[in-house]
Amino acid sequence: MNFAGAFHLGLCYLRRHRGKTVLLIAAISLSLILPFAVAHTVRLAEQHLRSRADSTPLVFGAVGSELELVFNSLYFTKPDINSVTASEAETLSAEGMSRIIPIHARFSARGFPVIGTSLDYFDFRQLTFSSGDAFIRLGDCVLGAKVAKELGLGPGDHLITTPDALFDMAGTFPLKMRITGVLAAVGGPDDNAVFADTRTSWVVAGLAHGHQDAASTDADQKLGESDDGSIALNAAVVEYNEVTPDNIDSFHFHGDSADFPLTAAIVLPHDSRAETLLMGRFTGNEPSAQLLRPRSVMDDLFDTVFRIRDLVLLALGAVALAAATIAILVFALSNRLRTREFQNLENLGADPSTVRFLVSFEATFVILSSLAITAMVVAILQLTSPLWLSTFSA
Amino acid sequence: MKLSFTFLVVLPGLVALISCDSSKDGSPRAIASANPVIQTVNYPLAYFAERIAGDNAEIIFAAPADGDPAFWKPSDDELSAFQKADLIILNGATYAKWTTTASLPSGRTVDTSAGFADKFISVTEATTHTHGDGEAHAHAGTAFTTWLDFSLAKQQAKAIADALSERLPDRAETFQKNFTTLAVDLDSLDADMMALAKKISDQPLFASHPVYQYWSRAYGLNVDAVHWEPETVPDTGALNELIKKSVTHDGIWMIWEGEPAAESIEKLQQRNIGSVVFDPCGNRPEDGSDWLATMRKNLANLETLTSGQ
Repeated sequence: MNFAGAFHLGLCYLRRHRGKTVLLIAAISLSLILPFAVAHTVRLAEQHLRSRADSTPLVFGAVGSELELVFNSLYFTKPDINSVTASEAETLSAEGMSRIIPIHARFSARGFPVIGTSLDYFDFRQLTFSSGDAFIRLGDCVLGAKVAKELGLGPGDHLITTPDALFDMAGTFPLKMRITGVLAAVGGPDDNAVFADTRTSWVVAGLAHGHQDAASTDADQKLGESDDGSIALNAAVVEYNEVTPDNIDSFHFHGDSADFPLTAAIVLPHDSRAETLLMGRFTGNEPSAQLLRPRSVMDDLFDTVFRIRDLVLLALGAVALAAATIAILVFALSNRLRTREFQNLENLGADPSTVRFLVSFEATFVILSSLAITAMVVAILQLTSPLWLSTFSA
Repeated sequence: MKLSFTFLVVLPGLVALISCDSSKDGSPRAIASANPVIQTVNYPLAYFAERIAGDNAEIIFAAPADGDPAFWKPSDDELSAFQKADLIILNGATYAKWTTTASLPSGRTVDTSAGFADKFISVTEATTHTHGDGEAHAHAGTAFTTWLDFSLAKQQAKAIADALSERLPDRAETFQKNFTTLAVDLDSLDADMMALAKKISDQPLFASHPVYQYWSRAYGLNVDAVHWEPETVPDTGALNELIKKSVTHDGIWMIWEGEPAAESIEKLQQRNIGSVVFDPCGNRPEDGSDWLATMRKNLANLETLTSGQ
């Protein structure tokens, strides 16, 4: 067999019909890549979702959607979920069976969620600082790595919270927060959030504020003084929009902070017995709050996701089958159209093996090229998936 | 295909909700450091911690020696040092107002008075205010010199011993043994103070500062406080305030937080009011003694009340 000659003729044919060849390779490659990409992405999503859920033993929050509560406490989305009071969350740790980490993920600053929590959150998630340190006092905040990068802010700078509604004069007051540190990137929602003390988030919520001492305000700012010493101030008294060493003592809470809201609380039971006992408290007919195992909620979520994935893979399989059938048809038609070409070659003295090689060259080339491209894309997907996944998730 | 399209649209949303950090499970309570650092907010707690921990921990009481730790405002660096401590021991009962605005790790913080929060004494403040149509509110407080009731001091010491034992289980036996020794001293103080209080009975006493609430309640003493400072000689206004109180509270002894100025003693003596020092010892004693010795000295000073002026 004249292998070099047959190879040359085969390539010439493909070059002559490059449009058809490229389309065939693309169709076959896509039909192979898509199922893999879907399965791979679902697997990665599952791994990552589960890793954060698995590392969070229990989540406490108001009754409502379990999924929304888990997403609010773990991924800081769903800011409008119902809240529980701080004292309700504290009752879970009152008997020494667990520790709680409060989460108040309701507000935002320049498009990034502001998470009111405690310093224990950093220990729990094993977060470290790339610069600066943790928030020190009321009005301080810590930036996630992506927030700091996108806003170009660092320790010593300030970040102003976003009011609920621009023209709502009675709404939340923007607070100018001092940035004390930036977290090292971890490739998750923590990169994309601003962290502050829970009490700072309550200041943002308007539940605490600071202003000039009532007794020393100007007379024109006082509406009156009652017999018991109560002073009514008018709305002209300017509230501080930034906590500084000079005015920090004037900040005070209106009402009992035990009644203040949390969107969720991460609950860390001391042992499995404590976990079981705590879970037992929320199995009544009409519980006022819910205590969830994020892992179980993720199981339920992925049961659904896997069912959809299987259907998608089935559909993609059918598409791949259709593509393969069409490719076979194209090859058959192509060979039929080339019948005279093969006859001429035989007439010119080409041996039968050379003709057979030419007949199978197009199909072999297209299939091998498709497999090569698929392998390359799969390798790239696998190598780069941590990167794009963290970009997506942050 | 529609299904696959929907799925491919939904999937990035799902992926956008995820992260890949790895966290550990459970609650990390044990202290890993061989020489743990323990921060305290006042001297009584530092003393208790030193007695209980012995050489097993470094006890830090960072407030300056020349002020009242209750009103100390630590700097950012000092707050940062608190945050990094292995254990932070608070007095609770609103002691050290800075703790209400500082961010402290709750997992490494012990409120030593949390166990008897129902026994706190409320201090009402006259000035309340409202903002426009808002709800009226007052910045009322809680009496915080809890350790002058020696039975409460014992509970605070127990809270420290338990916190240390929980976080350093390999040294728990030592901590409990040391606490038992300290408890004996505190019980003895409590018994002696109770005996003294019986002798003092219900005779009216003045206090130079409102810091003796727990002490007077625990031992049934009849105390009315003014706002005087030991180093400041009371002026006419202050004396008039005392005279006004004397109408309903005819005290013949003034309990001082520290050694009063000689002129203050003289001015009181002119009104047949004797002076005696009962140092709450919120800060380290200037004479180099310790909390227990200071309390013993306080009790010795109070003997004067039972033996006449």
